[in-house]
Amino acid sequence: MSERIVVLEISGLEALHLAGIVGQFRDLLADSRADDDPAVARLLPDAYPDDEAASREFRRLTGGDLLERRAQDAAVLLQTLGLDGGDRSAEDDPDATITIALGETEALAWMRTLSALRLVLATRLGIRTEDDHHPDDPRFGVYDWIGYRLDGLMTALDRR
Amino acid sequence: MAPLATPDLDIERDRQTTPEPPSSWQTVVWNDPVNLMSYVSHVFRTYFGFDTPTAHRLMLAVHHDGHAVVARGPREVMEAHVQAMHDFGLWATVRKDPS
Repeated sequence: MSERIVVLEISGLEALHLAGIVGQFRDLLADSRADDDPAVARLLPDAYPDDEAASREFRRLTGGDLLERRAQDAAVLLQTLGLDGGDRSAEDDPDATITIALGETEALAWMRTLSALRLVLATRLGIRTEDDHHPDDPRFGVYDWIGYRLDGLMTALDRR
Repeated sequence: MAPLATPDLDIERDRQTTPEPPSSWQTVVWNDPVNLMSYVSHVFRTYFGFDTPTAHRLMLAVHHDGHAVVARGPREVMEAHVQAMHDFGLWATVRKDPS
C-alpha cells in the first residue's frame, strides 16, 4: 500500500449508503452499454464532437479499458471502506465513526469514483444546466452529499 | 489564450506519423453542470502539472467561457490527454488547432 496521504472520517451509516451506491455503480458498469444507457454514455463522451466516425473509433479503442478502470476504482473504494464482504463493522454500529486512511492510489480511486457517481446520478436526475437543482427532491440529497464528500476530499488533498 | 506547456511533448514527438507540425492539435475541456470547480482545478494541477494559479485560471475559463484549451501538441498525445480526462469524468475533446 502506498504511503497514506489523507484521512477521511465518515459515519457507519454513510459508509453503508456509499457502499450500496458504489455497488449499483459496479452493476451498471458490468451490465450496461453506452448505446443503451445515457449514464454510461456520459462516462464515455465523444472525443471528436464534429466527427461521429472518429468518436466511435476512439470509444472502440479506449472505452473498454476506461470502464475497466472505473470498476477497479470502485473496487478500491469498497475495499478501503471495509465493506467489500470482509469487515462488517459499519453494519454492526451505524453511528460509529469510521476512519479511512488513503494512499495516493486510493485517493485517486475515491475522487474518480465519487465524481463518476455524480455524473451517473445527474444523468438519472436530468441535470442539464447548473439551474437544474431541486433541494426538495430527496434524490438530490444523495447527489449533494456525494458532492460534499468529494469537495472535502479535494480540500484535504490540496492542503498537503 | 496564451500557448500552454504541453507535458511529454518531447517524448511523444517521435511517434508523430503525420506531416503536420506537432502542435497542430488541441485538448479542449468543456463546461458541465456536474463536476465541482475544486475537482476540475485539482485534476488540471495534478494531471497536467500546472501550478495552482494556472489550474485555477483554466478551470474558471471552462466555467465562464464554456470551454478551455488545456494542451496543444501531436494528435496522439492529445488523445492520451482526452482519455485521461475521461477517466476523471471531465468532458474533453480533441480538435485540430483552428489558428
